Amino acid sequence: MKVARLDGLVRHLILAGFSASIALPLLWVLRVSLTDKLTAYRLPPEIGQIGLHNFVEVLTQYDFTRWFGNSVFVAVLATAISLPAAAMMAYATARYRTGGWPLMMMVLSSQMIPPIVLVLPMFLVFTTLMPVPGIIAITIAHVAINLPFMAWIMISFFDEDTRSLEEAARCDGATRWQAFTRVTIPVAMPGIIAAGLLGFILSWNEFLYALILGNHSSQTLAVGLASLETHAGVNIAPLAAATLLALAPVLILLPFLQKYLIKGLSLGALK
Amino acid sequence: MKKYMLSSLSALALTAVAAHAETVNILMEAVPDTTYIQQLLPEFEEATGIDVNLEVVNYAEMHTKLVPQLVSNSGSYSAIVVDFYWVGEFFKAGWMQPLDDRIAADGFDTSVYVPAMMDLVGQVEGTTYMLPFYNYAMGLLYRTDLLEDEANKTAYMDAFGTELKKPETWDEYLQQVKFFTKDGSYGVVNQGLRPDPIAMEWSNYLFAKGGEFIDDGWHATFNSPEGVAALEDYITNLNDYGPVGAASFSFDEAFNVFSQGQAYSYITYNFFRAAVDDASGSAIVGKGEIMGVPGQTPEEGGSLNGAWGWAIPKSSPNPDAAWEFLKWVESPEIAKKRALLGGSATRLDVFDDAEVIAKYPQTTALKELLLGSHNFPTFTYTPQFVEVLGRELSLAVSGEKSAQEALDAAAAEFDELAIKDGRQE
Amino acid sequence: MAHVTTMERENRRFGWLLTAPGLVLLAAVVLFPIVWAGITSFFNYSLIFPGYDDFAGLGNYAKAADDGEFLHSAWITLLFVVAVVGIQFVAGFVVALMLNDARRGKTVYYLILLCPLLINPVVVGLMWRMILHPTLGIVNWLLGTVGIEPVNWLGAPDMAFWTVVLVDIWHQVSFMVVLLLAGLSALPAEPYEAARVDGATPFQRFWHITLPMMKPVIVVTLLIRMIFAIKTYDIIYIMTRGGPGVATDLISYFIYRRAFVSLDLGEACAMAAMLLIVIAGLTAVLWRSMRQVQD
Repeated sequence: MKVARLDGLVRHLILAGFSASIALPLLWVLRVSLTDKLTAYRLPPEIGQIGLHNFVEVLTQYDFTRWFGNSVFVAVLATAISLPAAAMMAYATARYRTGGWPLMMMVLSSQMIPPIVLVLPMFLVFTTLMPVPGIIAITIAHVAINLPFMAWIMISFFDEDTRSLEEAARCDGATRWQAFTRVTIPVAMPGIIAAGLLGFILSWNEFLYALILGNHSSQTLAVGLASLETHAGVNIAPLAAATLLALAPVLILLPFLQKYLIKGLSLGALK
Repeated sequence: MKKYMLSSLSALALTAVAAHAETVNILMEAVPDTTYIQQLLPEFEEATGIDVNLEVVNYAEMHTKLVPQLVSNSGSYSAIVVDFYWVGEFFKAGWMQPLDDRIAADGFDTSVYVPAMMDLVGQVEGTTYMLPFYNYAMGLLYRTDLLEDEANKTAYMDAFGTELKKPETWDEYLQQVKFFTKDGSYGVVNQGLRPDPIAMEWSNYLFAKGGEFIDDGWHATFNSPEGVAALEDYITNLNDYGPVGAASFSFDEAFNVFSQGQAYSYITYNFFRAAVDDASGSAIVGKGEIMGVPGQTPEEGGSLNGAWGWAIPKSSPNPDAAWEFLKWVESPEIAKKRALLGGSATRLDVFDDAEVIAKYPQTTALKELLLGSHNFPTFTYTPQFVEVLGRELSLAVSGEKSAQEALDAAAAEFDELAIKDGRQE
Repeated sequence: MAHVTTMERENRRFGWLLTAPGLVLLAAVVLFPIVWAGITSFFNYSLIFPGYDDFAGLGNYAKAADDGEFLHSAWITLLFVVAVVGIQFVAGFVVALMLNDARRGKTVYYLILLCPLLINPVVVGLMWRMILHPTLGIVNWLLGTVGIEPVNWLGAPDMAFWTVVLVDIWHQVSFMVVLLLAGLSALPAEPYEAARVDGATPFQRFWHITLPMMKPVIVVTLLIRMIFAIKTYDIIYIMTRGGPGVATDLISYFIYRRAFVSLDLGEACAMAAMLLIVIAGLTAVLWRSMRQVQD
């Protein structure tokens, strides 16, 4: 019992240390968001005047709400389209070796090319297809960026363990599709959720395609926030406030993660 | 979530419908001069019925964003703003529409612009492609309170046998930099980040030392003894009389050191003069002033010129509406209104306007600074040259090359670019 | 026997049916740009004079292979990738193992570690520049209170490299945690129960059960992080622009400049193609090691 308690203590010390190193810089960002540029760079640190003025400024003087809405739209839609497609592709590769490794290499190699040389031809295609490329074009580009990574992540979660379960289901008269959706997917859920989460994050942070394919009304957070760095200096205090507001999706994502990634792991206590 | 998607989709549909009304789209940067235009826009929209959309992005991403638009046959920008060092490239690639016919037809007066502005962001090889928008010529920001301090005056007199005052020559300035590096304060703060911060700042040192970038035949001359001495001054200032880490500073870090009151001087873009008096970011309100970078003699100046110009791209979907906007934004009255809001002028009539001077007494100093400034070589490959120069200067500052080696390497690459551009025989 | 082949054929058809939507989506979006970039790499194609009348053959490739600066960038990138992926993997795996078995506070830990992932690299760079400002930043001030001289985080070549590595680790380490944790949570419980009956120590369980079973996930995680690390350019752009000197001039930022500053797209495409070949080679090696475990 004593050993277990010591074990737990060490565990939480490591986790707390790690979390602190992640969180401390963010706490400094929080402090800057509540003050002004002068105080932000004042040393030794002064409390100065604390207020929510930067948050008000971000929400009223900048297009923050539009950037945020665009980013949520693009990231959610791109993930919703690419996740099922990637899951099917990963399953086909893991179970049926469809296309073998050359296919999966080809799929991934599309993401090994620096996007900077692909963005121009892609822009030319979109301008030919639609008068003004915008949020839809960005979403389509993000689908293509996310898909290969998601597929690769999920392959290792569709491994051999469920084959016998699937075969049992098939003997009971289930189709291949039913065996996939009803037997395998629930087992592979942690991998699917992780892939979805990373796809969302990739899209959320993607800058280049959002910059080139976007326009005035389809600017995403990544592009919009970068504009706070100007030739005449960085508007650091409003930027800090905007950075914290832009963390809101964590709260949107948390319920999913809790259900499939965090809670599901309590079994792991056995390991 | 679903509801949100539906509403954004319908919002998209709405903007598509609204696009039928004439709209001028312009890509700009979030600088004060853009904000002033934003404030005045309702006047234009009311007078002409044309809507204006300013798409605001980060400075260096502007070029990345513009290039695909300009290469494409059908861009979405009606008008654009052009940084002076893209001018040669945009001209060579044929991305801008000539404005001379429109200027003549509407009797628009371009003679009011400071001639150096028209050279930089107005005409190229005799054709007008741009109207100068705002200038960002570089100047010397210095601390008036430190110069007026009696203890400093006495100590300076004791040390150098001359009076402590606003520096008239480059050598006097360097002496002051050395003098003010004491008690945890610095004589100067530099912007040593590659490529443009360091390249632009060092250009002032080159001109102040009496050096030039090129001769009449477009051969590089900045690796001359003056150039090498200028780089040595720069390295000494940065490493010995400036704060730790200035080799990595961009404008923002460097200005913060100055505005926190930790440095006597900073050579930078003139629009930072206004930021000195902004109490939300400055601890030295009323204690800083700007002047032209001093040269070898009190009559010479060492400032580097810089400016943005308005242009209408070849790919503009509606050049006529764009010209309406340009005419309005550069009209005498709007130019004056912009200056009264704090904008940086390019027109002599605005510089000499009594109301503007009354509101901003530094206007006269800014005019002198501009008139005495030098131009950077602008040609097709200026952006590339800035990259090369910035890299080599940075190598010299970090001690990996000597000043002579670094400048020789940059000069060799400059000559290659000039030959590639057909500038050299 | 005939029955088996029908089954096989149907399996194959079903596999392709599942793969089709993804492949079609991908091909529709990236096929043209990739082919375009491939063709362009064989021409002297500049955006100032766009056109395909100046065929260069392998000229752009030869030029890149002969360009000392490009090779230097490749070398710096290799160091960068090894440093960030290596450190992130070790730290990420330890945290994932700890978190997997933690009984309390899991949601809080998870919430904190997700935060950096949702901040885009440009903002990460700007925030860290503020925090690490050598004279006005909080970190150097704190170090000063315990008597440490101000650290020149970004202004000295070697230090700047490690600072960029540090910031990238802060930003991306959670990526490793998320993926490895998902892998851990998908492990079956039976082998652990058997090991418990046999009285295996925690280390034996880790070494003989967890590690081998995790290998596919580990390989994929390393692979994807490696590809992201090679593509790093925003943090460099914001924090150092490749400086001081050329100390942090990563290859993606180099190619970016060749394409959008020099506007020399032919050369940029050739460099991108060379990079693709190298990464694909590395991927093939990693993939093979993954399959060896499974088959």
